[in-house]
Amino acid sequence: MFNNFSSFVQKAQSAAQQLIDPMQGLNLTNSDKNPSKSSLFQNQFRLPSSQTPLYEIPAELTIPPSNVTQGDKERDRGWHYAGKLHLSESYICFSTTSTSFVHTASTSTSSAFTGQTHGGGPSGNGFTFPLCAIRRVERLNSQNFQFALAITTWNGISQELAKDKDALKDKKDFREQRITIQLAGSRQACERFCDGLKKGLRTAVGNVGKCKRVVAECYSEYLLRPEEMKNAPSPDAGLGLIFRYPGDPKKLRDRAKMRLWAEFLRDNGRNATLIRQPTFHKLIRVGLPNRLRGEMWELTSGSFYLRLENPTLYAETLAKFSGKESLAIDEIEKDLNRSLPEYPGFQSEEGIHRLRRVLTAYSWIDPEVGYCQAMNIVVAALLIYMSEAQAFFLLSALCDRLVPGYYSSTMYGTLLDQKVFESLVEKTMPILWEHLVKSDVQLSVVSLPWFLSLYINSMPLVFAFRVLDVFFVEGPKVLFQVGLAILRINGEDLLDATDDGAFISVLKSYFSRLDESAHPKSENPKLRAINRFQELMVVAFKEFSGITHSSIQDLRLKNKDAVLNNIENFAKRTAIRNLGPDSKLLSAEELGSLYDRFYTILYERQQRDHIIQEEQLRRAKHNKTRATEAFAERHDHGVEKGRVGLGPSTSLMDYDAFREFLASIAKWAISDAPASPRRNQSSEKDRSPYFGSFRRSESNLLTPWGGGPEPAEHEFMQRLFRRWDVDSSSTLTLQNVVTGLAQIKGKRDIMGTITYFFELYDDDGDGKVDREGILRISEALLFLSRRGLEGALSNSNSSAMLNGMADSEPGSMSPPIGGTVNERFLGSISAFIRRCFEYADPDHPNNHFGTAQHASSGPDASPFPTASQVADNDAFAIGDDDDDEDDLLAFDGPPEPSSTTNTPDNGSIPPALGKPAGGSGTERTVSKAQSEKANVALDPSNPLYMTLPTFRMVVLADELLEQFFESSFPTSLHIVDGLPNATYQSSSSLTTFSNLNFGRAAAAPIPVPQPGAAAPGRSLRGVLDNIVTDASRVAAEVRRRMEEAQGELEKNAVPGQKDDEEDDEEDLQGLVRSAGGDPERRSVRSSDRDLLDGADADAGAAKGQEGSSQSILDANDEGGRPNPASSAIQGIVEFES
Amino acid sequence: MADSANAPKPSSSVKLVLLGEAAVGKSSLVLRFVNNDFQENKEPTIGAAFLTQKCNLPSRTIKFEIWDTAGQERFASLAPMYYRNAQAALVVYDLTKPTSLIKAKHWVAELQRQASPGIVIALVGNKLDLTNDSESGQGDAEGAEGEESGDARKVSTDEAKSYAEEENLLFFETSAKTGHNVSEVFTAIANAIPETSLKSTRGPGVSNAVGRGGDEQRVNLNGPREAAKEGCAC
Repeated sequence: MFNNFSSFVQKAQSAAQQLIDPMQGLNLTNSDKNPSKSSLFQNQFRLPSSQTPLYEIPAELTIPPSNVTQGDKERDRGWHYAGKLHLSESYICFSTTSTSFVHTASTSTSSAFTGQTHGGGPSGNGFTFPLCAIRRVERLNSQNFQFALAITTWNGISQELAKDKDALKDKKDFREQRITIQLAGSRQACERFCDGLKKGLRTAVGNVGKCKRVVAECYSEYLLRPEEMKNAPSPDAGLGLIFRYPGDPKKLRDRAKMRLWAEFLRDNGRNATLIRQPTFHKLIRVGLPNRLRGEMWELTSGSFYLRLENPTLYAETLAKFSGKESLAIDEIEKDLNRSLPEYPGFQSEEGIHRLRRVLTAYSWIDPEVGYCQAMNIVVAALLIYMSEAQAFFLLSALCDRLVPGYYSSTMYGTLLDQKVFESLVEKTMPILWEHLVKSDVQLSVVSLPWFLSLYINSMPLVFAFRVLDVFFVEGPKVLFQVGLAILRINGEDLLDATDDGAFISVLKSYFSRLDESAHPKSENPKLRAINRFQELMVVAFKEFSGITHSSIQDLRLKNKDAVLNNIENFAKRTAIRNLGPDSKLLSAEELGSLYDRFYTILYERQQRDHIIQEEQLRRAKHNKTRATEAFAERHDHGVEKGRVGLGPSTSLMDYDAFREFLASIAKWAISDAPASPRRNQSSEKDRSPYFGSFRRSESNLLTPWGGGPEPAEHEFMQRLFRRWDVDSSSTLTLQNVVTGLAQIKGKRDIMGTITYFFELYDDDGDGKVDREGILRISEALLFLSRRGLEGALSNSNSSAMLNGMADSEPGSMSPPIGGTVNERFLGSISAFIRRCFEYADPDHPNNHFGTAQHASSGPDASPFPTASQVADNDAFAIGDDDDDEDDLLAFDGPPEPSSTTNTPDNGSIPPALGKPAGGSGTERTVSKAQSEKANVALDPSNPLYMTLPTFRMVVLADELLEQFFESSFPTSLHIVDGLPNATYQSSSSLTTFSNLNFGRAAAAPIPVPQPGAAAPGRSLRGVLDNIVTDASRVAAEVRRRMEEAQGELEKNAVPGQKDDEEDDEEDLQGLVRSAGGDPERRSVRSSDRDLLDGADADAGAAKGQEGSSQSILDANDEGGRPNPASSAIQGIVEFES
Repeated sequence: MADSANAPKPSSSVKLVLLGEAAVGKSSLVLRFVNNDFQENKEPTIGAAFLTQKCNLPSRTIKFEIWDTAGQERFASLAPMYYRNAQAALVVYDLTKPTSLIKAKHWVAELQRQASPGIVIALVGNKLDLTNDSESGQGDAEGAEGEESGDARKVSTDEAKSYAEEENLLFFETSAKTGHNVSEVFTAIANAIPETSLKSTRGPGVSNAVGRGGDEQRVNLNGPREAAKEGCAC
């Protein structure tokens, strides 16, 4: 049977050195087109990912003739193989080229399934020695001045044996495994290799014991155990040892196979020290013997090396997660009783327990895969032949390397390979393919289970295991070859089948007759002896020998995108449909875009993180030794993560991602400073641990925000995040985001938005916002408006040009209108602050100033005159009958008298809060008879709070604010179209006080008693400081912006800005215009606001204490630094005229 | 296959797909319907299983081509492959598991949007044998088997029924174990398939179908226009 070895050897030697085929990818990435050396190396020798190729050198392997078997003459010379020797951190590997046995087998005999083994996997001849399995390396004196090493292994030397060296020498039947390797490189290269080897061996010494323990669990050790250990217990070789292995051992010729393997292992080493020679592959093709099957699967798949690396991982995992529950565990439980139920082992508790433990342990170490149906069947099959730990690691090798993505949460690997299979069928069997298309039979309907359960479910077990034998050595291409062969063999019958049902039944009956003779009518008894399964193997590996790893890899790459897109579309459809009731508030288009944005951001952030990490790693490596540097490409294949189709590794958005998300849909969420280090300093610092980010360690190597704009950081965004994060998990799900946005955008109702905003700041949910909160709200308003407002902003003509972006550019400003909406909005905000304090309710009723006011306006519940009463009041005109109007008026009305009385020294009456006409365009008139006494409330010593109705009132009192809540804020979130590509980096485009020339003068606050002097010339900051110390934050904000803008201006950027800043004349004009000099504005825009302002000024004039409000008024009126008195007066004059 | 020739009754085939959460008993329902059998530990369906069964109606014979799909969540993305061109769907939930009804609703929504228009959907609550009303169901000598552990019902009939009415679904509560109501489901579906959307099994029409012949056969079902003519031919 094995007498043509010499030809093997010759062929092996003459075979041209060939590049290693790109192996099955762990993950499909762009770099698969250009796989890294280390991934090729790992795949070729099936090593763990911790191993990188450090050195490689051409070499010739010499295996001395065995002195055990007497054998034929060729053997006496030993065997020589030319190939390459590789060294990694803890392995030394040798391989001849991957085409080492072409054209070797004849098809005529049943054992002759040896075909080509292109590509990866331990296909060639050679070995994969863990360094810890090497006992001794000697340098030989070689005649050709060449380097030659003699390697002696621990093969066959158990721990006990090693201790007793004399016993070892005495043993007659013991033969050391010793091989010679001649290095064929330059002297320098050889030296380097040897140095590396020396170093590796030194480190490996510590692992020798571990290696021996792992090896001791291999059945081969038991099989070849020395005479005196005859009674040692057999290692666990699977459930088959207890419940018998499937199939008839006689028919399988199990004993004969066992003898052959025993001989091979004796000659060539076993488990860790096995040397692959051609016989090895032949023996595998004829089917592994039952008791060695598990060990060989482990060895050929490389899972043995995983186990060797971390022998206790399985037990540790089980212990660590003992008693814990998970979704995967629930799913596993459902299937335990239905995994190979026909095998007696799985009708027993023992079998079920093993299955449960392996599946559970794996679900813990690979939570992304967790548990997928079909894994139960595969693992059940493995457990028949191997121990739990072995099955555990083999499952890991399957999921990571052999069938990547098959069992992932999207099963993209399965779907992808179905596409690959279809295109292979189309290419190799065009007629059948055409027939399938014609009869509308979907091939994957039959073939998907083949691949997913590795044929275990489709064929009788004995045959499925034969396929597995080859699959573990040669990799996933075997699945394709077998699948194609099945179709080829049944081609004629399949051509008769015209629907799915017929198609399936043809194949079903084929599988059930695999053990029958393939040529029952043949005269030739040899031919008659060949059963259908053997025929299948021959067809698979002969006819489809052209199917290689690289051809499959190419097809995978080609089909990858289409498959992933399909999955993603489905996932998107499903996800959107299941987003909960709030999602109905948004349009389908909005939901779709939200979904895309959400996952795009998560995905891009992961990609970026990955790149950053790599970069850091690369930097770190620079410090390492030169030797490692040369091959330091371990992490250079970017593993694609986070793409939905691949099974997103996260579907949670942390706070930073949330900021990025907002910055992609709202311009206010974009940072002001282009590359601000501030973000890292201040904002990161004052963040509470709640706002933890998944990616703390940002390096300066790359911008952490990728190509997009850098998101701003503001307390408002934190509040929003917290509000959306309904389950306080510090992360948002897509559903959280949708719900959050639906509440803002979906309702299209101003009251809802106002309430929403209020609730954002009502921290304890008691319906009250305190002073702090009020200030924070105004900060938020400033923040949100600094890039201009959007949406339908005004019903008045003058605001026709109110477009956020146009506005902020002074150049585009139309001359007649002095203040843009955005500028005026600043005024609205300052008015807002003032009014808030004015109408806030004191916390302590016995406050000496606020008593009366409290009595009247304090508690929400306090009885006010009815709406009709108020409506009668001449001081008010009702704009329209908005629902809230009544409330508002009722609220406004009564306090006035009381407040007037309350502050008798106040000569003038401040305006009430005019109720704007709800955007209906109705002409509005407003009371201006209002006293300004309320600013008592601004006294920081008076705790106060604002209720929702007050907040509403205050908002609705201002047309711009109202519009802000009604349309501007909701529309500022551009879900569908996103932001235009413009950059918002420059702060010069911001609408801020400073940009508008406010408060550029000295900050000296003037505690003004006189009205005239009060208004202008004072910096907003000073004034605010003066109002309330609590306002310092507002001030700080203003100051910050001021400085920013100033810095910007000093650099002298925007021409339009120049006008503003440098031309006092114009400035003044602008001021006058905006302060009310512009007739158009005044007439068309509802005058209520101006009136209010005017009245404010009045009040200020009357009462020195109210200076604060006046200064805010300054801001309102677009601050007249140049001519304070005149502007204020002018304002007043205007209003009174 | 040559039924139509021998039998007086017209015969047509209907593609039916089963959907629902894992382990609600989809495969068991099929097994009961097709083989009148029940297996306690049925292997989970990998991908999908295909079975056929005939259903005799007074006026015609329906041959069900049943696609029994895998229930695990991650297999969901494979489902479109199976419900493609289906004329009927059985969406199954487990009476003792409220989450399975939610999943069933998702499937109904998916089918209504993505499957062939006019697909007949039946909502089926399975495992009636685990509830108290298993005996109350008519004609259940075997129904008593299921009563051992009291009432495990977690989904009320009313809740599911009103949902089914809302969505215009057929509704049944069954037990694949006892066989209760199982054949009724399929008969009801057979009756609900509009005459116009039926094609003859392997009728003469098939031979003329060229190109993507299958497509033609089935896609037609979506629009009753041509299908009506073909259907009448037998």
